[in-house]
Amino acid sequence: MRCAVLLAVSGWMVLYAADEIPRHTGAIDDFQNRVAEYAMLHNAAQAKSSAAKQTDSAADILNSQHLLAAEIRQKRQGAVQGSIFSPEISQEFRRLAGTATHGPAAGRVEKSLKRAEPVKLALKVNDTYPQRAPLQSVPPTLLQNLPKLPPELEYRIVGHALVLRDIGANLIVDFIPDLIP
Amino acid sequence: MPRLFLFLSIAFSILIEGPRHSIVSAQNQQGASAASLKLPLKAKSVRFAAIGDNGTGTKEQYDVAAQMERFHQRFPFDFVVMLGDNIYGGQTAADFKLKFEDPYKPLLDGGVKFYASLGNHDNPNERFYKPFNMGGKRYYSFKNANATFFALDSNYMDPEQVSWLQQQLSSSSSDWKICFFHHPLHSDGQFHGADVDLRARIEPILENNGVNVVLSGHDHVYERIAPQHGVSYFVIGNSGQLRFHNLRPSSQMMKGYDEDCGFALFEIAGDELYFQVISRKGATIDSGVISRKSNQPGAYLGPKLQFSTTFLSRGL
Repeated sequence: MRCAVLLAVSGWMVLYAADEIPRHTGAIDDFQNRVAEYAMLHNAAQAKSSAAKQTDSAADILNSQHLLAAEIRQKRQGAVQGSIFSPEISQEFRRLAGTATHGPAAGRVEKSLKRAEPVKLALKVNDTYPQRAPLQSVPPTLLQNLPKLPPELEYRIVGHALVLRDIGANLIVDFIPDLIP
Repeated sequence: MPRLFLFLSIAFSILIEGPRHSIVSAQNQQGASAASLKLPLKAKSVRFAAIGDNGTGTKEQYDVAAQMERFHQRFPFDFVVMLGDNIYGGQTAADFKLKFEDPYKPLLDGGVKFYASLGNHDNPNERFYKPFNMGGKRYYSFKNANATFFALDSNYMDPEQVSWLQQQLSSSSSDWKICFFHHPLHSDGQFHGADVDLRARIEPILENNGVNVVLSGHDHVYERIAPQHGVSYFVIGNSGQLRFHNLRPSSQMMKGYDEDCGFALFEIAGDELYFQVISRKGATIDSGVISRKSNQPGAYLGPKLQFSTTFLSRGL
């Protein structure tokens, strides 16, 4: 009986692992191209504004952030929700996130999400992430499953949405609604 | 009618939870006037302070900062590690002045360095603020004598940071390896509690690479956890605001305090790390010593366990 249970669990784990590792390369490649393009835009905007550097002046840091955000907004005037997270990419992200939120680590991921001080905001592409709102931490298991980002960008969670955030400009670049249970 | 409802709510909550007591009650504290330094002030020791969730700009933060300055005169620590939520709310120059530069001015003027880690209320661009000594990085390390300190960004423990941590810890030959970051791996704070997914990801790395001590914040209380596989955990999230009576002690708590704000002092001398935790009013909340060589499960050398009837009376 114990052997049968072990075999069943092992089989499920193999199936689960097999489901977790392969990625739909078309959608992921498309995503990587889009974020690489965004990173180029970010760097071009940074070159026109002032580059982030270490300073004693908090005012300078905030000013650099505002200038960079303004340049990026100018360059992405037509950007809307889905500009980066196309329907195909979003679908693949839902599958990848699902391996974290519904897989063996689901319980601890859910606990981490609840204990992270969840944030609720109205999201709009090119908006500034509100200074007074906390930045909810992202469970490491989820980060492990999602595609790697260029250093200009990070994933964040707002309510049930997965947000792509420009770190230096503090901008909402795109988001997928209702990705997180 | 609303008053009756309020009365019934309070009565009901007392029935459910029992009367509230802090783990270290006010009666057990030493008065501010009697506060004494419990640290040995040994020659060539590494001396530092730790504060967490401090950047509120409130009277509580200023009181704690003043107390730090008072103790600094008797225990001249060289640096302060910040456990995140360094600047709540806005990120304007006025915010930094109110919530960092002014309260800690005497320490900053005295040459004390501050090393920040990022909390969930911090804009990651704080890494460019020179007085936080982050070198423009979300996570970094620095060495002081026989100790290396690893500041992590627990908001965003991506695979790159995990690899960095593994590499940095395994290549460090320091006697003492101390990690500090915002989200606690162990906490009996009711409001947040432990970040269990973060714990699953990094605790094995800490244990397997000789980390001695972990300092965190996030829960606005003080707590010292029983060593877990050789690692001692502190939660010091009450340096700027307090969650009154928010601790719900588990068997892993060695000491807890949720009745006022405070900060911690540490002194590393050879194979010993001494600590003293001080309240906003200058009372000693906790003190003890951790031995590097004996810091194995069950070999904690600090003060004896503070399990008391207060545990039972809090409806655990």
